[in-house]
Amino acid sequence: MRWLPAFVSALVASTTGVLAVKKSTEERFASFHTKALASSAVKLSDASFRELTAAPRDYSVAVLLNALDSRYGCQMCREFQPEWDLLAKSWTKGDKKAESRLIFATLDFSDGRDVFMSFGLQTAPVVFYYPPTTGPHAAKSRDPIRYDFVNGFQSAEQMHAWIARNTPNRPSPPVQRPINYLKWIVTTTILLGGGTSAFVAWPYVLPVLQNRNVWAAVSLISILVFTSGQMFNHIRKVPYVGVDQRGGLTYFAAGFQNQFGMETQFVAAMYGVLAFSAMCLAIKVPRIADPKVQNVAVFAWAGILFFMYSFLLSIFRVKNAGYPFALPPFM
Amino acid sequence: MSADLLQAVADVGKGKGTRSLLRVVILCLIAGAAIASRLFSVIRFESIIHEFDPWFNFRATKYLVANGFYNFWDWFDDRTWHPLGRVTGGTLYPGLMVTSGVIYHALRALNIPVDIRNICVLLAPAFSGLTAFASYLLTNEMTTTPSAGLLAAIFMGIAPGYISRSVAGSYDNEAIAIFLLVFTFYLWIKALKQGSMLWGAMCALFYGYMVASWGGYAFITCLLPLHSFVLICMGRYSTRLYVAYTTWYALGTLASMQIPFVGFLPVKTSEHMPALGIFGFLQLLGFLDYVRSAIPGRQFQTFLWLFAGGIFGVGLGGLVLATSLGFIAPWSGRFYSLWDTGYAKIHIPIIASVSEHQPTAWPAFFFDLNMLIWLFPAGVYLCFQQLADEHVFIVVYALFGSYFAGVMVRLMLTLTPVVCVAAAMAMSSLFDTYLVAKAPKPEDHVADEASEGAAKKAAKTGLKSTSRPVVGVYSYFAKGTIVSGLTLYLLLFVLHCTWVTSNAYSSPSVVLASKMPDGSQHIIDDYREAYQWLRQNTADDAKIMSWWDYGYQIGGMADRPTLVDNNTWNNTHIATVGKAMSSREEVSYPIMRQHEVDYVLVVFGGLLGYSGDDINKFLWMVRIAEGIWPDEVKERDFFTPRGEYRVDGEASEAMKNSLMYKMSYYNYNMLFPPGQAQDRVRGVRLPEVGPTLSTLDEAFTSENWIIRIFKVKDLDRFGRDHGQAMAFERGIKKKAPRKKGPRTLRVD
Repeated sequence: MRWLPAFVSALVASTTGVLAVKKSTEERFASFHTKALASSAVKLSDASFRELTAAPRDYSVAVLLNALDSRYGCQMCREFQPEWDLLAKSWTKGDKKAESRLIFATLDFSDGRDVFMSFGLQTAPVVFYYPPTTGPHAAKSRDPIRYDFVNGFQSAEQMHAWIARNTPNRPSPPVQRPINYLKWIVTTTILLGGGTSAFVAWPYVLPVLQNRNVWAAVSLISILVFTSGQMFNHIRKVPYVGVDQRGGLTYFAAGFQNQFGMETQFVAAMYGVLAFSAMCLAIKVPRIADPKVQNVAVFAWAGILFFMYSFLLSIFRVKNAGYPFALPPFM
Repeated sequence: MSADLLQAVADVGKGKGTRSLLRVVILCLIAGAAIASRLFSVIRFESIIHEFDPWFNFRATKYLVANGFYNFWDWFDDRTWHPLGRVTGGTLYPGLMVTSGVIYHALRALNIPVDIRNICVLLAPAFSGLTAFASYLLTNEMTTTPSAGLLAAIFMGIAPGYISRSVAGSYDNEAIAIFLLVFTFYLWIKALKQGSMLWGAMCALFYGYMVASWGGYAFITCLLPLHSFVLICMGRYSTRLYVAYTTWYALGTLASMQIPFVGFLPVKTSEHMPALGIFGFLQLLGFLDYVRSAIPGRQFQTFLWLFAGGIFGVGLGGLVLATSLGFIAPWSGRFYSLWDTGYAKIHIPIIASVSEHQPTAWPAFFFDLNMLIWLFPAGVYLCFQQLADEHVFIVVYALFGSYFAGVMVRLMLTLTPVVCVAAAMAMSSLFDTYLVAKAPKPEDHVADEASEGAAKKAAKTGLKSTSRPVVGVYSYFAKGTIVSGLTLYLLLFVLHCTWVTSNAYSSPSVVLASKMPDGSQHIIDDYREAYQWLRQNTADDAKIMSWWDYGYQIGGMADRPTLVDNNTWNNTHIATVGKAMSSREEVSYPIMRQHEVDYVLVVFGGLLGYSGDDINKFLWMVRIAEGIWPDEVKERDFFTPRGEYRVDGEASEAMKNSLMYKMSYYNYNMLFPPGQAQDRVRGVRLPEVGPTLSTLDEAFTSENWIIRIFKVKDLDRFGRDHGQAMAFERGIKKKAPRKKGPRTLRVD
């Protein structure tokens, strides 16, 4: 009786195989296209993925392999999914007669482990484009073209450009983003509310706007922010703190061209203290009428200045190993 | 007798004439220090042009001197961008070359025979002396303290942020442009303060010179309108502002349009629109001001101001509309990437690839400005004390300068002048407070405490910290401490500047210096060795293909035509070279044949550990090529499946088969015992069998292997593929006989 399971499995395999072959490429396209018209991108499973991408096909398939489940902690998967759906929807809607013969599909990791395994995928999301193997647009190679998200998040428009490049001489309906009514309403409300409150609060706001101290503070803080490398953090998206080999936290990045977020704030604070003590020495101290208080103030600010500058130099020596200058006490 | 002498010494500097004399002497010494500290490279190496762009400027200057001005103006250069050529006369900023040409001819007229190269090498230090003088003038407009200007001059003279672009041999546009920048600002402040048309016209004249010299003139074009706009918003519109601005704008725009490279840009592109908009707005304000003086009435005034604001809004809307309809060109990529900082990486990799366009990390600020960086905010704060029109300028300049310097490393250059001016103001106000011999008497000021309330009320509009009257410093010991501390910081600053200049900014990068184990200096001169080889061993019109970084040097030193160079005007052409470098030989060979390439030059640092080589730049070539041929060149293929960029045995197939990889490592393992070949830049061991080349022959490799030159083979005599021909030479038989035919070029 050992042949029975084997026979059954062979039978099942042959029937599914026969079914897949029997269903002509035309029928398969029609059925998936109706599905696509109903929703945005067709949700696939292992089996339907195999069916859709089976070898003789006169249509193309663009399939997104994604891992939406929060267990995988894939931020970009969740960000890209709505973009993909939007692209699929506007393409399918814009090409109702299906002249481009392109099916958009999505396969999530939880529905299609085997497919992920067979591709040996380590990362998600990945987009595969299956060119047609027969028909007027047949490509030379039947292998899918792979799109990795090496440059980070891509918008629907950027994805559209990639797909349109792979489907030349076919209609490529542009991405149509739906009008975000909520956003418009919120913006209008905020604008009107802001205008009204500005009008009402104008007598109180005006003195603040005309206050020199406020402007001085704003200017100095922005200068400190810019000169302490905050724009570098913004552009390079550096981490706030680093981790060293033993798993501990490091606050100062090694190397002249690197920095951490916290490091720059620290540097900005040091610059601020130095500038403030210089300002106090230049402006405040000579205005103190009491000689004793003035004396104390002079030495206090001079001490802070010296101490801080010495510390700054020692920090700089961490960044630039060959730097020869130092002041006591941080030699 | 001795008392008389002491008296005489004490009197020095008190008379007005003596002071002026001292001032002149000090300024001359400052100029001397500025020039001297820029001569490290000449003393250490020789009088040589540095880096990349200066080589083009030098070549253009030689052309100007040899062929005269009009030929220079109409120069079409067929030895670059082969086969396209470049309309050089119409696509460069001629200010620098014309300046050195004029100096050259002036010296000739005085019967001083100076080599044009020496003029070019020493132009930047000479102008740095002038820059120091210009910042002296600018600072003197800001404050009444006489020492501030001198401090600003010496700061400007030796601050590494400026030295980085103006050492001897760094013959670049910035060499004269920073002087022009500071001097134009000085003239603008002068014109604004006096409301003088003469100063305004002078400002326009120097602005025109600036436009002729450096693309960074847009900084002035945007800063002056911004300053005016801030003044208007503060309610400080005046006829002085009107006269100064309109004179500068009308004449300056006309002057700038004389440069062929600029042409009609001032009326067509977005970065010039603020200047035009403020010009129109000032006309409107001038008219309203006139009407207001004629018709009294408070409500009418309110109406007028609303009217002005409305017109401003409508004008702004019109500008946006005209831009979106395409009448006005939108911000060019380079400017736009300053605002939208992520833009360049996605859309213009060629801009993002340049190292000086990277954002600035904080150590760079401290490295370039040392203690000035923390005196700078203090100086800006001092500007808020009086906040006259010129102080507003410093504040606006400081804010925008520091933003731009944070976004792009090279714009540290435009920040440095304002840092020097502000820091000098702070420093001089410290010295003025603590370097006074006279001490106040405590009893004089006890009474003041009582009247403090009144003083506070009076100073309500000013800064909180300056509400009380100045008393002075009582203790001599306190004065001594502060002054000696400041002197220490200043001396440290001088040491820092000298150390930075000597260690970081004085390398010509054409010639590399290294230390031998015994401490003696060893000069690595591979670049010039290779360029000299090209000059002497190749035909005069042999086309050299290399990555664009070396285009200017090949043109300048080897005098051979190149495919692409540092004037990156044609992205497609650069991408073509990138594609040839990053593709398989079968793909690259037709590209090279079609572009008539005779030699290919690569820079390889693996033997010496020279990190600025082509393999490290390779990904940019791939990216730029991918931008044009996304289907043929893919960045992903050059990484291992695990996403690493490797060159050893694990390297990806695309990497191993790329022309660049093959050229770099061709025959490299012959230098080592079998299996020991090592790349000292990437720090990896290379596979035992090195790459083979079938379409190129190794022609030259420099002493330390930094430069490798390959000759492109001619088509095979028997009509075979080069791959087949090589296989035949190695003794591998052809598998299938092929039909013989004429020599053809296979294009994939």
